[in-house]
Amino acid sequence: MTIATEGVAASAATPSVLLTGITKRYGSVVACNDVNLALHPGRIHGVLGENGAGKSTLMKILIGLIQPDEGSIVINGGTVRISDPVAASNLGIAMVHQHYSLVEPLTVWENVVLGERVRLDRAAACARVAALSDRYGLGVDPLARVSDLTAGQRQRVEIIKCLRREPRIIVFDEPTSVLTPAESEQLFSVLRVVVVDEGRTVALVSHKLDEILHATDEITIMRGGRVVGHSPTSAATASSLAQAVVGRPVSLRSEAAALGLIETVAAAIGDSDAPEGVPDAVVIEAAPVVLEVRNARVLDVDGHPLLDDFSITVRAGEIVGLAGVEGNGQRALADMLSSLLDLESGSVLVSGEEVDLSRPGALGRVGIGIIPEDRHDSGCVLDLSVAENLALTDLGAVSTGGLLDRRAIERRARELMQAFDIQARSPHAPMRSLSGGNQQRVVLARELSANPKVLIAAQPTRGLDVGAIEYMSARLRAAAEAGVGILLISTELEEVLTLSHRICVIHAGQIVGEMSRHDANLERLGMLIGGMAA
Amino acid sequence: MTAAANVTETPVVRAPSAAAQRLRTVFRSLPVLAQYLISIAVALTLCGILVEVTGGSASKVMSALLDGSVRSPGAWGLTLSTAAPLLVVAAGTIVAAKAGLSNIGQEGQLLLGCAATAFIGTRADLPAPMVIVLSFLGAMVLSGMWAGLAALMKFTRKVPEVMSTLLLGFVAAQLTTFGLTRKWLLLATNNTSRVNNGEPLPDRAKMPTFTLFGNEVSWGVIIALVVTILISFVLRRTTIGFRLRALGHNSRTARRAGVSAAIVGGGALVVSGAAAGLAGGLWMTGGSAGDRFTTNVSSNIGWQGLLVALLARDRASLAIPMAFVFAALRTGSSFLAATGVDRRITDVVQAMLVLALLVPPAIASVQRRRRPRGGSA
Amino acid sequence: MSAFAVLGFGGSIFDVLSSKSTYSSTMRFAATLVFAATGEWIAERAGTMNISLEGMILTAAFTSALGSDLTGNVWIALLFGIAGGFLIALIQGVMSHRFGANQFVVGLTLNVLAVGITAFLAAEIDPVVTRAGIIRVPLLSRIPLIGEALFAQAWLLYLLYPLIPLAWWAVYRTRWGLDLRCAGENPQAADVSGIDVNKRRRQAVYVCGMCSGLAGTYLTIGQVGSFGADGVSGRGFIALAAVIFGGWVLKGAVGGAVVFGFFLAFGSVFQALGYDANPQVLGALPYVMAITTMILFARRGRQPASLGRPFVRGLT
Repeated sequence: MTIATEGVAASAATPSVLLTGITKRYGSVVACNDVNLALHPGRIHGVLGENGAGKSTLMKILIGLIQPDEGSIVINGGTVRISDPVAASNLGIAMVHQHYSLVEPLTVWENVVLGERVRLDRAAACARVAALSDRYGLGVDPLARVSDLTAGQRQRVEIIKCLRREPRIIVFDEPTSVLTPAESEQLFSVLRVVVVDEGRTVALVSHKLDEILHATDEITIMRGGRVVGHSPTSAATASSLAQAVVGRPVSLRSEAAALGLIETVAAAIGDSDAPEGVPDAVVIEAAPVVLEVRNARVLDVDGHPLLDDFSITVRAGEIVGLAGVEGNGQRALADMLSSLLDLESGSVLVSGEEVDLSRPGALGRVGIGIIPEDRHDSGCVLDLSVAENLALTDLGAVSTGGLLDRRAIERRARELMQAFDIQARSPHAPMRSLSGGNQQRVVLARELSANPKVLIAAQPTRGLDVGAIEYMSARLRAAAEAGVGILLISTELEEVLTLSHRICVIHAGQIVGEMSRHDANLERLGMLIGGMAA
Repeated sequence: MTAAANVTETPVVRAPSAAAQRLRTVFRSLPVLAQYLISIAVALTLCGILVEVTGGSASKVMSALLDGSVRSPGAWGLTLSTAAPLLVVAAGTIVAAKAGLSNIGQEGQLLLGCAATAFIGTRADLPAPMVIVLSFLGAMVLSGMWAGLAALMKFTRKVPEVMSTLLLGFVAAQLTTFGLTRKWLLLATNNTSRVNNGEPLPDRAKMPTFTLFGNEVSWGVIIALVVTILISFVLRRTTIGFRLRALGHNSRTARRAGVSAAIVGGGALVVSGAAAGLAGGLWMTGGSAGDRFTTNVSSNIGWQGLLVALLARDRASLAIPMAFVFAALRTGSSFLAATGVDRRITDVVQAMLVLALLVPPAIASVQRRRRPRGGSA
Repeated sequence: MSAFAVLGFGGSIFDVLSSKSTYSSTMRFAATLVFAATGEWIAERAGTMNISLEGMILTAAFTSALGSDLTGNVWIALLFGIAGGFLIALIQGVMSHRFGANQFVVGLTLNVLAVGITAFLAAEIDPVVTRAGIIRVPLLSRIPLIGEALFAQAWLLYLLYPLIPLAWWAVYRTRWGLDLRCAGENPQAADVSGIDVNKRRRQAVYVCGMCSGLAGTYLTIGQVGSFGADGVSGRGFIALAAVIFGGWVLKGAVGGAVVFGFFLAFGSVFQALGYDANPQVLGALPYVMAITTMILFARRGRQPASLGRPFVRGLT
């Protein structure tokens, strides 16, 4: 609210997109509340806000995945109703999606022409992909199979797929979350070409202050479903934006990671006053090793290695951050440590004892807790109640002679719900009815209440808002202080840098570098993450 | 799913689809009970039309069905007794379904259960209750093992259990036919008929009955109720039931929590097979199936029990009334001859009822799951 | 003794394999399976595990008999058969991909419905069937061993020859096929690309229904010459097994269907050649072989990633 709103409207002629009074409700929750937004050709417009601020809902309305309850959409001067993605496409609106929009078993060209209506013509499609690839310097092979590509390459395919219809309006949804720092840079230079040379309209949706400040021309800030600020980028500063995003004065230092301020995080590393709760490196080096993975090799169904000669150790009370771009084996590692995948070769030792991973729940029994990357996949059971989810891994404590003690289950649930501040109607509410943040807390509560020796936290803050991110970080720190060894698997470099005592970098299923927090420097980390020796 | 801003489709093509959309929206806005009633009415009307088109009278059919199942003297006792095996099949099916597995080979498993019951019942020279206990145990073991084969293939070789349970059913039919060609297995020692029949069951191997308000009711009804309540209790209140449900809802989370899909899921398949075997025992000894084993003795009890489970949407408490409804259609069908309508119209009615009752919960479930969760605080 | 037995058995197998009639019978039995497996392959590539296949074949077997009874014309019977298969497909498609009902439950119920309704109607009507004529293709039918099997059959069987390449072309070379494969692999991606996933899935089920219609028609009009309620007896499921056996690749599915056709034909050929074998063993053979091949090959194939899962926009 502190940001000036004048000066922008005058800078451009007719907006290519004008959203007025957009409101979308889900039951009692208002995802978008009377939102106004104007996008102009030839400009990159940043839409900034934390998770749950309503920016994704707004963009989904723009590309026809969601219908607004109220409000009007004007595209190039004409009022329209965008009923589905095809309608959006016909209006020249396209979106580069964050996830899940490529079909892995298909080739690049097949993916690119997906959803078109014209006859399938392989030669023409390949030629077009190659031409687009050249024009923007993307280096994409039209005949490659998508399942063989890295996350960064896949996003370039997404961009080609989006640009193939020469859209006038392009939405980028959290585009850097799967990119290495170098790839992000390249992306922003492509964006410049698209906007400046070709006069298109670009909306860049992000929760990261850094990239919004770095890559956009003007900024709209959303919070709690409303637009709370709007300004030209040149007039914005990190602190003014941060305050608008969170809705209260914030310390950039302490919340830098949650806000996506990598530079601030990096600057803090060298300082003498480390964040609270980070014990002395010397103390940790003397602590016993609680988790050791030795030369692990894990294969996918087709026999390709997901992890190859992967080794890592975690000591009691230590937070080890595993940095790396998505799709380099992190998922396989977390699955392996949940005893969902068996080792082809190598071993996993907990407190020096080797564990047989082929037995379901083997690692849980010997003291490894896990917060999985996708909690719906392997963290909780959506169709069971909160209380049942909390009891899931420790039925022995709530049963006698094979009979469930329902009062004990409920008592335990109430305790944990209070201790971890889980918001639910009752312990018997279905897990499905909880918000993402509360589901995550249920998983955290269950795993920590088992008093684990090691906690694996895979992308623990993904999709959470700033408050929930802070809560999660504080919990992880507290657990480490209490002597739990923590393996933090994260693609958010800011998060890894803020929380970890030691940082390892994973690339193509292997550890390619390791450094203590004090020696970390952004440049070297960036190179390691990109797979370059450094 | 129609696109207002979509210019590639012509309005002519879109119009009926838009009407359908409106109809669906209206249907969805109705109260749940009304949705059910409309669905059932549509299904029964279609069956009625089928009867009328083929020259029968729908009202006479309805009346005959009611006479045969509940109205005539002693009818509802027979219906209750017929409901018993249906209910047991359904209860077993629910166990497998809760574990996320689809056993659809009940007909074959039940046939094997009948065969085992007949084999033991005609041979075991024991006092009355012991023969029945022993023959039921034999039936459960044999059918359980048969379903266990499917479990083994599923968890060692990833053969989908939908396929294996069903195909094993055809093999079971051939096995029992073979049994009926050998006197040391199932063939009657003095078979004079042109078709191979089994040895008649002695009276001590038949299920006794009790009289309730002038109706003869098989003790099998009590067994079926006990089995159903027991299964329901185990699923809700025990750790093994909890693990099984967790496995059915989310196998990966369950595995992480230490649930072995092979043991718990395989066990669930074996239990569902054993239940079908027990149902075979109840059917074989209950009287309605005749007094001896024949190749088609199972006469769709397995399939109908499966439909009962589908209709009850895997809830044991709902399976009890549904089993009665299906049994009523079965016993009622014996009165259809007088109307000149083929008795298999009741098979059609059963299937149509299941289809009709699938619609409202499917719509409700989609709506419930589609509603996103609130902000991620 | 046992050595002689083995020798005798080996000899009989050799006789079976070197007999022209083996190949002719195999094709006769396989044709139903190939029609059905081709349709099922398309449905599965779009993401539907269509277990109502059995019901589709059975319904088509009856409706084609009805068409034949009414007109005596094979073409009309064929149209009736296709319509019958399509009718079941329509229910399957609309229930599972419009109303979002569980596709297994719908399929299972439709199988039971088809058994009930065809048995009921057959009892009421009792259709009389006119068989399709046998056409010997000149020259080609003279190819040794397999010529008669492939080119001296009821002419309905020849519909397979254009159908298989057509199905392959439609799935791999057309826009429709690309949409369809995406709907089966990654419906979310297909949806955001502007493909109507459930519509494509319904269409694939309809195509499957029409292929099953051909299967049922062939069974009644081309092969058996009458409608019998137990004439289908699990062929739909064997065709399903053929798709799994073929690893969700068309030529594999077709190959599997021919192999299973051989085992269906085996009993009659074996006995026709004068060998004696237990009829129940022969009767169980196709099912046992279907199970065995799945034990051997079910792990190998890569099924469409979204096979059997419903798609609702915005639903996780």
